[in-house]
Amino acid sequence: MSLRTQHDVLSVEWIKLELIRTAYSTRGGLFAAMDPRAVIGWYLLMAVAPWLTHNLTTLAALFVLGAVAVALARVGPLVLGLFVIGLGFELIYLALAATLFGGDLTTVVALLEVTAKLGVLSLASLAAFVSLDPEKLSDALLALRFPPAVAFAVSYGYRMMPILVEEFATVVEGYRLRQAPPAGRGLLGWRALVHWVLITIRAFYPIFLNTAKSVRTTVEALEARGFTFATIDPRGRAIRIGSLRFGPRDAAVLAVTALAVACCYLVGATWPVYRG
Amino acid sequence: MSGGIPPAGPVIEATALSFRYPGAGSDTLRDVDVRIERGDFVAVVGGNGSGKTTLCKTFNGLVPHYWSGEFAGEVRVGGVDTWESSVAELSSVVGYVYQDFQNQLVRPTVRDEVAFGPVNFGLADHAERTAEALRMVGIEHLADRFVWQLSGGQAHLVALASVLALRPEVVVVDEPVAELDPAAAVEIYERLTDLNRDHGITVVTIEHHAEFVARYARSVLLMSDGAPVWHLPTAQALGRAGELARHGIPAPQVVDGLRRIGVTGVPLSVADAATLVRADQDGGVVRRAAPRADVPDDPAREPDRRAVAVAREVGHGFRDVGGGLRPVIDDLSVTLREGDRVALVGGNGAGKTTLMRLLAGIHVPRVGTVELDGVDTRTQRAGRLSERAAYLAQQPERMFLKASVREDVALFPAGRHVPDVDALVDRILDRVRLTEHADRDGRTLSGGQQRRATLAIGLAMRPALLLLDEPTASLDVSSRDDVIAMLADLAEDIACTVVATHDMHLVAEWATRVLVLDGGRVVADTTPRVLFAEPDVLAPAHLVPPQITQLGLELGLDPLPLTVEEFAAHYAPAPLGALT
Repeated sequence: MSLRTQHDVLSVEWIKLELIRTAYSTRGGLFAAMDPRAVIGWYLLMAVAPWLTHNLTTLAALFVLGAVAVALARVGPLVLGLFVIGLGFELIYLALAATLFGGDLTTVVALLEVTAKLGVLSLASLAAFVSLDPEKLSDALLALRFPPAVAFAVSYGYRMMPILVEEFATVVEGYRLRQAPPAGRGLLGWRALVHWVLITIRAFYPIFLNTAKSVRTTVEALEARGFTFATIDPRGRAIRIGSLRFGPRDAAVLAVTALAVACCYLVGATWPVYRG
Repeated sequence: MSGGIPPAGPVIEATALSFRYPGAGSDTLRDVDVRIERGDFVAVVGGNGSGKTTLCKTFNGLVPHYWSGEFAGEVRVGGVDTWESSVAELSSVVGYVYQDFQNQLVRPTVRDEVAFGPVNFGLADHAERTAEALRMVGIEHLADRFVWQLSGGQAHLVALASVLALRPEVVVVDEPVAELDPAAAVEIYERLTDLNRDHGITVVTIEHHAEFVARYARSVLLMSDGAPVWHLPTAQALGRAGELARHGIPAPQVVDGLRRIGVTGVPLSVADAATLVRADQDGGVVRRAAPRADVPDDPAREPDRRAVAVAREVGHGFRDVGGGLRPVIDDLSVTLREGDRVALVGGNGAGKTTLMRLLAGIHVPRVGTVELDGVDTRTQRAGRLSERAAYLAQQPERMFLKASVREDVALFPAGRHVPDVDALVDRILDRVRLTEHADRDGRTLSGGQQRRATLAIGLAMRPALLLLDEPTASLDVSSRDDVIAMLADLAEDIACTVVATHDMHLVAEWATRVLVLDGGRVVADTTPRVLFAEPDVLAPAHLVPPQITQLGLELGLDPLPLTVEEFAAHYAPAPLGALT
């Protein structure tokens, strides 16, 4: 059997660090420095654009634009990897579905259009949400008149995330050490796979109980520090959104994006490709 | 402002207060009358279930506004009747820091966390209040950190700053010592003392440890069975050592030690105690015993005992958020032998937990080798190595995977097809005295019971090497003594036990060998008695010997006493009449 080594990537610890890096935009990037409302505006622009056309050239151009945005936003390997894997599986699935149900290449192309639209949407989501740390996102939601509870839930959810991942890692480790490992790996490692899937499912019971126990303090502390008060009194909201500034940089990014989207449509109009 | 006479009038006054939690069968608080003067530093003491925490929750209105049980009587805070007020309003008078303060932190960064209260209340000067609160507890340098990057002590200070940002007159701190290492606990108490002295803030702490009460509190409120027994100035309160001990608060070691040798007076610190002993020695009240040959010496350490675990030139580290490699263990070599009772000590971040996890084979080192029972940990999976070494995590809840203690204990032996699992599990549960709680979920047990349950889980794994991470942390004194006694009993089943700890009582009373870690290296490998006599090693590792040992050092006793009994043995029996 091969010797064990310390894994720096593809371990639970790595996933935790990646999530933190993603959530708190520690990699920086173009959009991280922008006003969060502008980022949400930018996102809406990019997210709506692909749905207004059936022109495959336009969609391809928009896809390239999305990819550029992802590069500028410095999206990390975990999220990007998940995206690529997701898109890859989607394509394989399309090909299989088309063949199995007696379709041909035209069916694939038809489904490809939807996939491309979803792809542009995903790229825009990646770029936008990797650049918005939870505080900015929560402030932007407040500014856009979302209920304070929703805005808080966003930031608290992020706060809980590293805790949950850690909790998960500990519980899985407990099972790994105390549950007997499968006798052999089995064909293609199916026994090991079943073992891990079972552990993952069983991990939820202790995680939920441990988390539920700690939340009681959190709720009391929220009450004592005026969380409920702030949902009634508007002054807290005024202070929170008072720090948001829509600057020339935000305007410039929005203008350039609008122009780029227009260009995509222009390219599409010049060399149009429609399905079947 | 000086700490002299506080301004007139009580800041908190409870009259004929009773409270019953919804659905509970009896009152948690019964007919309580309490006055807390402005500027006081009150330690609320009492056994588990005496109503300490519930009483403190009436001060900021959580009882009865959040916990709406049956409430009778009156609580006035800063002159306001809490029944007429609300939790939000009262939070600008009373700040509350929880025992599990980590759960109190709800924002990602320290600055946000501290600003959370003032911003929610829409206070125009929220920025100044935040800066002021950070300054008051001395954590300006942490302002931009993420809360999950903080050490326990830092997180506690953040929780404290976040309630101070509302400029309360009273701060309630629930058992700060429980979740913190001693150095961090001292830091918290020093800050609270500053707040009390320089800013006139009334401080109320819930506390089990008489040493902290003696050193910092001005008055002591003893609770029992939902009602105050008495509320006295600290010196007077500690004079009632027997009564405190009956309520689960054993006297500080120096108080106990002096009583044993017949010195009168209640010392509040080691220096006090030394002065009292010297005075009585000069006055002929006590005298030193003749040097004794039979003082228990540390067991001889023949080097030929079986090696249970060997680390050779081990180096290890972890990736941080920035992607850099943070070294934790650095070129460390150590051999643990059969019969060793090893205490692993050192400040936070010294590498204690990492070393234990490497020894247990949960991680493999980046550099060097770890051999467990003669097996290189790189050659076997962690799930196999756990048959040789068991690691018990610091938080007991993290070890509870199943719905009952019995299932948790049986998980390992049942999976390994150990013959007669049921009998084994019964025997172990009996040994840790949990038979009657065996069918409960481990999470619902008390702190001491949870520790014993994890110990049972470890014993059921029947390892050669047992590693425990802070087994006495957050335990009250009697549960702690319980765990220490159980550890002392393990020798017949476990070849070698390693305990990572900040608890110097545990080191003094249990260990035969101490490894001091600093910066991932072993800076001392010795016996407790030798270690406690070496200030050069103690100081950089933030170690403080037990009070009785400090007193022995102060008085120049040789051999250095590790327990109160050893201290008393240095003095001749008190002549009749010296005891009052």
